[in-house]
Amino acid sequence: MRERDKQDAAPLSIQRLTRQRVNQLAAVLTVFTTLFVAGCAGDRSILDPAGPAARDVVLIWWIMLAFGTVVLIAVTALWLYAFKRKHVTRTPAEERRIARRWILGGGILLPVASITALLAFGVPVGQRMLPLPLSEPPEVIEVIGHQWWWEVRYPGAEEGEVVTSNQLIMPAGEPVDFHVSGADVIHAFWVPRLGGKIDMIPGRVNRIRLEADEPAVFGAQCAEFCGVGHAHMHLYVEAVEREEYDAWLAERQTDQLTALAVNDPQHEPAREAFMTHCASCHRVAGLSTGEVGPDLSDLGSRTSLGAGVLAMEQGAINHWLNNHLTLKPSNKMPSHDDIESATLESLGAWLETLTP
Amino acid sequence: MTSTIQRLHLTHPLHFVIGLTLWCIWFIAVYGGHAVACAVAPPAPEQGVFTLVNAMLLLVSIVSIALLAALTLGCCREAKRHEGRLRFNAAVSAGLYLFSALGVLFAALPIIGIPPCL
Amino acid sequence: MTTINRQATPQDPQNPKDSQGLHEDLHEIWGNPRGLKALTIVNHTTLGLRFMITGMVFFLIGGILAMLVRTQLALPGQDFMSPDIYNQVTTMHGTVMMFLFAIPMLEGLAIYMIPKMIGARDLVCPRLTSLGYWCYLFGGIILTFSLVIEMAPSSGWFMYTPLSSSEYAPDLGSDFWLLGITFVEISAVSAGVELVVSILRTRTQGMALHKMPIFAWYILAMALMIVVGFPPLILGSILLELERAVGMPFFEIAGGGDPILWQHLFWLFGHPEVYIIFLPAAGIVSTLIPVFAGRPLVGYGWVVFAIIVTGFISFGLWVHHMFTVGIPQLAQAFFSAASMLVAVPTAIQVFVWLATLWLGKPKMKLPMLWIVGFLVIFVCGGLTGVMLALVPFNWQVHDTHFVVAHMHYVLVGGMFFPMIAGLYYWLPLFSGRMPSETIGKWGFWLTFIGFNTTFLIMHWTGLLGMPRRIYTYEEGTGWDIFNLISSVGGFVMSAGIAMVLLDIALHFRFGKPAKHNPWNADTLEWANSMPPSAYNFVSLPKVDTRHPLWDNPDLPRTMAEGKHGLPVATNGRREMWGTDPLTGKVREIIHLPGNSWWPLFAAMALAVVCISLLVRIYPLAGIAVIVAAVFLLRWSWENGAHPKAAPDAEVAPGDPPLHSRTMDGPGLWAMSITMLANGSFFMSYLFGWFYLWTVSPEWRMPETSPLSLIALIVAGLSLTCGAGILEKCVRGLRQKRDEGLAMGMYSISALGFIQVAITVWVLLSADLAVTETAHDAIMMVGLIYVLLHGGLGAILALMQGLRVGYGYVGAHAPFEPAVVAQLWRYNVVVFWIIVGALAVLPRVIGS
Repeated sequence: MRERDKQDAAPLSIQRLTRQRVNQLAAVLTVFTTLFVAGCAGDRSILDPAGPAARDVVLIWWIMLAFGTVVLIAVTALWLYAFKRKHVTRTPAEERRIARRWILGGGILLPVASITALLAFGVPVGQRMLPLPLSEPPEVIEVIGHQWWWEVRYPGAEEGEVVTSNQLIMPAGEPVDFHVSGADVIHAFWVPRLGGKIDMIPGRVNRIRLEADEPAVFGAQCAEFCGVGHAHMHLYVEAVEREEYDAWLAERQTDQLTALAVNDPQHEPAREAFMTHCASCHRVAGLSTGEVGPDLSDLGSRTSLGAGVLAMEQGAINHWLNNHLTLKPSNKMPSHDDIESATLESLGAWLETLTP
Repeated sequence: MTSTIQRLHLTHPLHFVIGLTLWCIWFIAVYGGHAVACAVAPPAPEQGVFTLVNAMLLLVSIVSIALLAALTLGCCREAKRHEGRLRFNAAVSAGLYLFSALGVLFAALPIIGIPPCL
Repeated sequence: MTTINRQATPQDPQNPKDSQGLHEDLHEIWGNPRGLKALTIVNHTTLGLRFMITGMVFFLIGGILAMLVRTQLALPGQDFMSPDIYNQVTTMHGTVMMFLFAIPMLEGLAIYMIPKMIGARDLVCPRLTSLGYWCYLFGGIILTFSLVIEMAPSSGWFMYTPLSSSEYAPDLGSDFWLLGITFVEISAVSAGVELVVSILRTRTQGMALHKMPIFAWYILAMALMIVVGFPPLILGSILLELERAVGMPFFEIAGGGDPILWQHLFWLFGHPEVYIIFLPAAGIVSTLIPVFAGRPLVGYGWVVFAIIVTGFISFGLWVHHMFTVGIPQLAQAFFSAASMLVAVPTAIQVFVWLATLWLGKPKMKLPMLWIVGFLVIFVCGGLTGVMLALVPFNWQVHDTHFVVAHMHYVLVGGMFFPMIAGLYYWLPLFSGRMPSETIGKWGFWLTFIGFNTTFLIMHWTGLLGMPRRIYTYEEGTGWDIFNLISSVGGFVMSAGIAMVLLDIALHFRFGKPAKHNPWNADTLEWANSMPPSAYNFVSLPKVDTRHPLWDNPDLPRTMAEGKHGLPVATNGRREMWGTDPLTGKVREIIHLPGNSWWPLFAAMALAVVCISLLVRIYPLAGIAVIVAAVFLLRWSWENGAHPKAAPDAEVAPGDPPLHSRTMDGPGLWAMSITMLANGSFFMSYLFGWFYLWTVSPEWRMPETSPLSLIALIVAGLSLTCGAGILEKCVRGLRQKRDEGLAMGMYSISALGFIQVAITVWVLLSADLAVTETAHDAIMMVGLIYVLLHGGLGAILALMQGLRVGYGYVGAHAPFEPAVVAQLWRYNVVVFWIIVGALAVLPRVIGS
């Protein structure tokens, strides 16, 4: 009886184990997949593409990774096997034949086939990123890199060029041509989830065509080393529907912004302080034309301050004005120690109202 | 023809470097010529690949390939006629000329498919 | 087919009594002095070791900088270092590792090993080796000193303008970099020149080109690549320093320059440099694998093919570092294709090594462990390299940590691992003792695991979008954990390296004494005593096989007994064979100079130049330049029939003549190779001129050329005339005629000075606005270039005239005028090209 029990129990336990194992395996796989997907995600991840150019590249990457892994493992295994295998004595002619087979097969055929395939895949992908002439000219957005912030211009806006900074709004679902340049040193414009980067070189204009599949916010960061502030030169790129984009531009016509700047008479002292302390470097449409620092005409509507260093919320501007040199050590804006904190507070409050 | 080949002394190790030097010269000519052409008279993007620039670059490449291929054959023939050091020299040179010819071919492939100045 | 004699090689080539005297005599002539006079040593064994030890010190400095970087990046938002210090640290990490560790270390190995492998007693230009070492040491000290005063360069190790220009980097950091690196490069180029000449002209009797040890092929290629590849950066550094110090706008858009020109010049050097580092390391692999597989390398010819292809193709890839600067797609495609082509020779080598292991009986000794580690890491780096050659992918990952990871895989895998393998392999030769296998294995595994933990993960960090050279990152980017792992790996790796260093340090004291030729190797360096004597070999053997010690295991003994060539020490000269570059037939006896102060003095004068330029005391710099030139010329005085060189030309009966008594010697070859380097410099200059002319956005060319064409033509005719007379003198000497030689030399010199005077006049009368337009600035640089060359030619001709008077030169010692003629030929060609490019073409084409 006990024997039978055992016999009965044995297959049962195996079954149970198996089922458990399957469950475990599934769990592990789920964890891995989640980790993997989570590991690939991120607002600056190449592996989480959100536009056609980036998607093409990431596909090529996975293929290259798989192929490369196979080659690496195979070559290493062959080498290690060469140490382990038993030595066979061969005639010189045989040795020559074997050697030639390895050299021709591994040394010539393998790389030639791989690079030919790669070039055949790669060139068309590269061509799709070229700013070739389209039947309907795409939207053009100019981005100019400064140490260490971004100037963004929309020359295509219907009622005259719109200028803003440290925030980029683009229409989703259509190709956009970015014309980029540098104001001082070389920077690089790169929205990883949309596609490749391009250098922003003083004295030159480089062009790149990118497209966002659907509305979303993408992270971007200067990719070419540009000095002490390099790590703090972020940009948020927001893709919106076409209508929203047009409306956004319309709200930023100079007249509208001017009206905004001179809004409430209660902010008059702040405006005066601005004209004394800030106007020589910063532009606020209708008030000043400074070009050294970022344009502030619609500052209140932006999502971040200091080129992506501080999230915009109530009181953030005041915080920034008081602590900008600690928040962003490279910052070229002088210290505000000589300005009374009440003045700074009023300045912050006024700038927050610049929300079209 | 035979005398030309003899005069080239294809068993001399100088031929180790001539093939790839020609490759380099081709490379500089194509890269430089292309840069100058794009700076001086860039063709309209609408023309695609059917431009004078592409045609000229292709012509230069074909001539280079022909020259290098001829030298490869010459070296192969020399290698068969000698033993020892001279055979080694000619054989390595033949390989290098062949690589140079194929190198021109491979690096010239994009000329067929890519418009010049974009 | 080579037969291998597996019988034990002679255990100890201890000299029988009759050859003991010969050893003592040779030691008398070649031995190193002690005390202060050790500074005069020119011997390649000593200097090779000095190079390598200094290189290791700089490696430790670079390694500490790397650890600082990893500490800063370990966690998000750290403030361990300020951004400015971080930028200095990363810039110096790259600079130190590339310029002060990798290249000098491998050069040091080549300097140490090459004469021993090819059966020579020293390199052909021993004083140049010494000068190279001092320039390296002083340049390295100047550069690292900048770290101490927190004024190190901080624009990244490739110094992109305008970030490195005076406007955006006003402090001395960039100057430290530009001047220090140029100083160090003197060392690299001089080592390059003499390695080429040594390999081509001083191989032992019978060692034809196709019988050379494969390592010599790698070093030959490396040395030639240094000679051609470094000058573009030297030019770039000079131009950028001129821009910073004087304000000549070569790289400034507003003045008609172009910052992209710097990138071209830098990468024209920078890409070949990667292969300059990789090739000698691959040479170590190709040397070790046959020894541990116990059979000759399979496909020697294939490897030679692969070396030559790599050497050339690597000059056609530089733009792949610049795919994002906005170059037309078609041009990018050329470079993309060329970059991929380089996979072919690399794959050939990997499979040659595999086939050698496959057909041999490989043994997994400690050096082989490092070679296998090399293979895994290097193949991985090579594969990501091919990926990076693909333009669309490159646009995504360029300037991210993916590239940082790739670069470390290629450089650490392709250089550091083989180097340690080589170090362990040759350690018994250096010291006569064996290292500890146990500590060595710990060292290997810690380094290997630590390295991969650091850098494999880093590919992923890059793919998640982390740009390179950011000093910090915020939380929530998804990079945190990967950076932490990388940092932990980095410290594991340094523990491994510490183990290796510990092993090497301990072995000098506790290592088991090594038996002779402990690995049963096939090449001649193992025929030395262990550690080697200053003169390497008592007698120089005839070698007509690639594996002298396998085919003739008795060779070390018979060599030590003085039974081969040149076992003489009676005439007090340092002598060795000069052989035919192709066949290895003995052509002459090369007599080498002895220990000398001049290299040290010249290097010290150059250090003064460097420092005074740094602190901008220009008059002092000018004086120091003249002093350095005087030292160098004084050094050149002690040549040929000079009492300190070879006053009497007697040789043993049956021996060939001394090289200074022939028309062909190593000096002539060294001059030719130097002119190759010079030509590369000049070509880079022409590239700069035409590049700015065609591409620079704001280029301004005056309506009429500021240069007087007629005056330039007169100057050119004077120069050509001088060169013509010089050719005639050399032809006369070839026929043993030297009447009127001194007079001829003086008139040649006079014609040279006339050219200089006219060129100066042209330069002054052109009234160039060098700080306003790049056109005028670059024109001035070209004119000064021909001016300096004309002046040097004239001075050398003048000295030849004097030497004829002293009796050092003449029909009995006809060598030197032929060397000077080489320079004059170069000067003539360059002068007319300059006239054509700067004065004629602008007139023909117009602005």
